[in-house]
Amino acid sequence: MVSRWMYISLVILYGFLLGPFVIIFMAGFGANANLAFPPQGFTLDWFANVFETAQFIDSFWISLQLGLSSTIVSLIMGMPVAYALVRYQFSASGMVETIFSAPILVPGLVIGFAMLNFFVLLGDMSVLTGLFIGHTAILFPYSVRVISASLRNLDPYVEDAAVSLGANRLRGFLLVVLPNMQAGIAAAFVLGFITSFNNVPVSLFLSGPGVTTLPVSMLSYLEYYFDPTIAAVSTLLVIFTVVLVQAAERLLGLSQFV
Amino acid sequence: MPYLEIQDLTVSYEKNKPTLKRFSLNVEQGELVSLLGPSGCGKTTTLRSVAGFIQPDSGQIVINERDYTRLPPNQRDIGLVFQSYALFPHLTVFNNVAFGLRMRRIPKDELHSRVANALKMVGLEAFADRRPSQLSGGQQQRVALARATVIEPQVLLLDEPLSNLDAGLRVEMRQEIRRAQQQLGITTLYVTHDQVEAMSISDRVVVMNQGEIEQIGRPESIFAAPETAFVAGFMGFDNHFSATVESAQDDKITVKWGGAPITLRWQSKFGSPTAGARAEIFFRADNASLSAGSEAGGLAGSVILHTFHGNEVQYLVETAVGEFSITQDSDSERFENGAAVKVQARTQKWIAIIE
Repeated sequence: MVSRWMYISLVILYGFLLGPFVIIFMAGFGANANLAFPPQGFTLDWFANVFETAQFIDSFWISLQLGLSSTIVSLIMGMPVAYALVRYQFSASGMVETIFSAPILVPGLVIGFAMLNFFVLLGDMSVLTGLFIGHTAILFPYSVRVISASLRNLDPYVEDAAVSLGANRLRGFLLVVLPNMQAGIAAAFVLGFITSFNNVPVSLFLSGPGVTTLPVSMLSYLEYYFDPTIAAVSTLLVIFTVVLVQAAERLLGLSQFV
Repeated sequence: MPYLEIQDLTVSYEKNKPTLKRFSLNVEQGELVSLLGPSGCGKTTTLRSVAGFIQPDSGQIVINERDYTRLPPNQRDIGLVFQSYALFPHLTVFNNVAFGLRMRRIPKDELHSRVANALKMVGLEAFADRRPSQLSGGQQQRVALARATVIEPQVLLLDEPLSNLDAGLRVEMRQEIRRAQQQLGITTLYVTHDQVEAMSISDRVVVMNQGEIEQIGRPESIFAAPETAFVAGFMGFDNHFSATVESAQDDKITVKWGGAPITLRWQSKFGSPTAGARAEIFFRADNASLSAGSEAGGLAGSVILHTFHGNEVQYLVETAVGEFSITQDSDSERFENGAAVKVQARTQKWIAIIE
């Protein structure tokens, strides 16, 4: 009995999870001028339209640059924090961990709104700089968490071993700790990039005229048009993310960190 | 001139609560000395101070006539073996062992032959290309031993190297460590909480308690003649009771046992005992025997519990001076719970400690 109920709930769960994607996926190939289901006919025009719409192409490049740069910087900043949290027990370590988790816990809209006000107060700042700072801030806790996880698996005494064998602290870190953090760093990179690339709420507030990310430009496209182009972009975005995650899983075993 | 001198070493992690109190120890060249004690007794702190990972509040560490006290750990030329092995997971066995030689910029040919020799010593020549995760616990500890000794350090330090291994392997590795240590003639400090391990591997044993040395001596003398109640307890003297000294000679005292006098060896850190002093009497479970309660002599008691252990039977006996654990050959006369018995002292291995 239990197994049958489990089976049914699993089907329902997957239905709700995957059903919307199936509909969007099919709608992207429909010949109707408006987004409709079930689609009538078959065409690749909407996909072609994606690549002809400057708004999507420009924002894709911005998302890509933003994702890469903010991920890399958040990793560089997150590494020493993760190292300190794992290696040293200090009285405030619990509080530090909580503060660094805040961007995960606070709603993205609140963060975006708060940052917008903050940046306005700071005065002249390019839209791209604002986006970069905002994204780096929301990625930072992910970097700290994923890298901490990989460090916790490493015997803390390996550093002492390296030092006792003649390496100074820095060499010990570079030769022994860093190579063992590689998988964690790579996992944090993939996770961070996807988080940045798909983020809406923070980007929404920090975008400016002509400078916006792909998800935000999709949102504004939806306000004016209701044709299946948006379904085509969505399909491409899902494929892009799935390919990235699959590649990371194959290469690094992403799931052991997240 | 001792090879390793530790003088008046004091280490505190918290103010005014020293973990190690004026600890002094001299180790001769090629000697293996164990630091034995319960957790928190300061044995690992001593080891980490010698390795340079802990800066002592005061005191001095001298190795081969050179003052090591303020030297950073990476310049100390000391081999360390950890309880957790602490092998480098991303490097092969060969590169783990070669690490210290690479830090010392040893030329390639010499490096290869020295690593090969070290791996041969621990019987792992065939495993040079494996990763640590592909080795068993015992093999990993062998790699750790090879890695620590291949640099030909002045002093080898081992921190509970066998605690993560199962019992059978522990005995085997123990012999292997001792063999390697003697073969290389390397001065060694060995930290353990296991008295059997300490006695079987060491030239001398230092028994530590609460940051201080309780007793230093050869394993045989510590085993036979503990100087303090703590050492006696740690060395497997399961039974003890308090008694009043009836009379004292140079090396013997007499106390009452079931009404009759028994004569015992004594140990004291505080001078000779006199009649009327309190003495703590210690004896092991196999240094007393039980006879039927109707027999003459001995101390009357009754059996509370008996458990069968194969070759022997262990009895818990309640007497007027305390509860004693006594083991008997399982072929000897058996007593049921509640049986009245006499505990017969076999005093040649008993010890009286005056504190």
